[in-house]
Amino acid sequence: MSVTTLTCATPWQRVATGDEAVAVAERAALGTTARVAVWPPESLSPACAAVDDVLAALDQQASRFRDDSELSWLHAAGGGVFMLSNGLAEAVGVALAAARWTWGRADPTVGAALISLGYDRDFAAIDQQRGEPLAAPLPAPGWQLVQLDGPLLRLPPGVRLDLGATAKGLGSDRAVRAVMSATGHAGGVLVSLGGDIAVAGIPPRDGWPVTVAEGPVQGGPSQLVRLPGGAVATSSVTCRRWQRGGAMLHHIVDPRTGRPADGPWRTVSVAAATCADANAAATAAIVAGRPAVSWLTSEGLPARLIGHDGEIRFLGGWPTVSGRSLPVPPGGHVYAGARPPGGAR
Amino acid sequence: MDADHGYPDGRVPLRELGDAEPRVRARRDGLRKARRMSNWTAAALIVGSGAAAVALAQHAFPAAVPAAGTASQAGGAGIPAGTTGASAQGTSGPSVTHSVATTTASGVTITTTTHTVNGKTVVTQVRHVPAYVDN
Repeated sequence: MSVTTLTCATPWQRVATGDEAVAVAERAALGTTARVAVWPPESLSPACAAVDDVLAALDQQASRFRDDSELSWLHAAGGGVFMLSNGLAEAVGVALAAARWTWGRADPTVGAALISLGYDRDFAAIDQQRGEPLAAPLPAPGWQLVQLDGPLLRLPPGVRLDLGATAKGLGSDRAVRAVMSATGHAGGVLVSLGGDIAVAGIPPRDGWPVTVAEGPVQGGPSQLVRLPGGAVATSSVTCRRWQRGGAMLHHIVDPRTGRPADGPWRTVSVAAATCADANAAATAAIVAGRPAVSWLTSEGLPARLIGHDGEIRFLGGWPTVSGRSLPVPPGGHVYAGARPPGGAR
Repeated sequence: MDADHGYPDGRVPLRELGDAEPRVRARRDGLRKARRMSNWTAAALIVGSGAAAVALAQHAFPAAVPAAGTASQAGGAGIPAGTTGASAQGTSGPSVTHSVATTTASGVTITTTTHTVNGKTVVTQVRHVPAYVDN
């Protein structure tokens, strides 16, 4: 593999994919991997710089694991009324809109539940095998308790937010907009944050070629699809797992129980008009279990669901064979419901 | 106003145009004619200006700009970014055959490597599962 360190503030590494027409680079970010693909290839450096800015801002605003983040500051204050930055106001607004859209299946008030399960720090720092017993379950208090009016947030005492169901999608959406702005809206861009992918601009002929994979499960089914626009995201219970009190846990929590979701799907991929939509819908589908099929269908979202038994279900026109284009529906949901105060980055 | 021209409850209807005296009517007809002519003149000016603006705009922006313009539209806060690429579909992007990214569970890094073997490009994707992932 040809690896070239780019002249960006962070160590992006150039990735050779076999196509000269696009330039691809990746780096570690937000506890996972960020990847940028652009055409024309000359746009790569400004694109990486633009994504760097977006990631730095998002991390500073919404990270649950940084003591100096704006979100941590809210939690440390123990509830109250806060004037948020535009960026965090947008992130919280998107999370609340996603909760409303998914009937509470993607609920940002699962923060305390995740902490009680042991996911209280960056995943890489979690003691995987800690033998202490599992704490009593903490069902989410409910997103309806959190009130956001423009940049003004009312957070009840004890409520801790986790924006994990939407933050990476939001970051990808922000990043592709930032790249298009930085490159003068020339060509096209794809940004992936931990597998949550958004695209903007003019796509390659037939769409951006994207692999849909499951994760670390050996031999898991993968598929090549074409993404002509919009976004695709995947949620899975096959990674970010740890043990507590002899129980195997994972990071997708059912807000109703405060325990890791135990539905029939181990991995769900969803295509949507925006990455925040795709991210929220994929997580909500894992939590919802079997009713996810009717919900995704009613929303007209192409989806690929893999059951714990390995059976794959295709919904909403998701292609059943490799190489076909994803029929991304027009119009998003969570941004329309979030009403950001404007100028958020 | 005469009560017999009004409604029984005392309300008076607005006077109709045909009710005016002949002298007043002649003057009014003249005014109406002049107004009608100036209306036509204004309409012609508006249509002409519009056509000129459209012609100038088409001349000023190349054909590719509408697609890029759609992309920039997605940059606005609250506008779905995803609608951009879909509407840009069909415009001339490059031909890309190999996968450029993978949607998967977060926490999995996939490295794509490319080798040339006997003159053929071989693309390999390797999944790096972090050590802290249990399976």
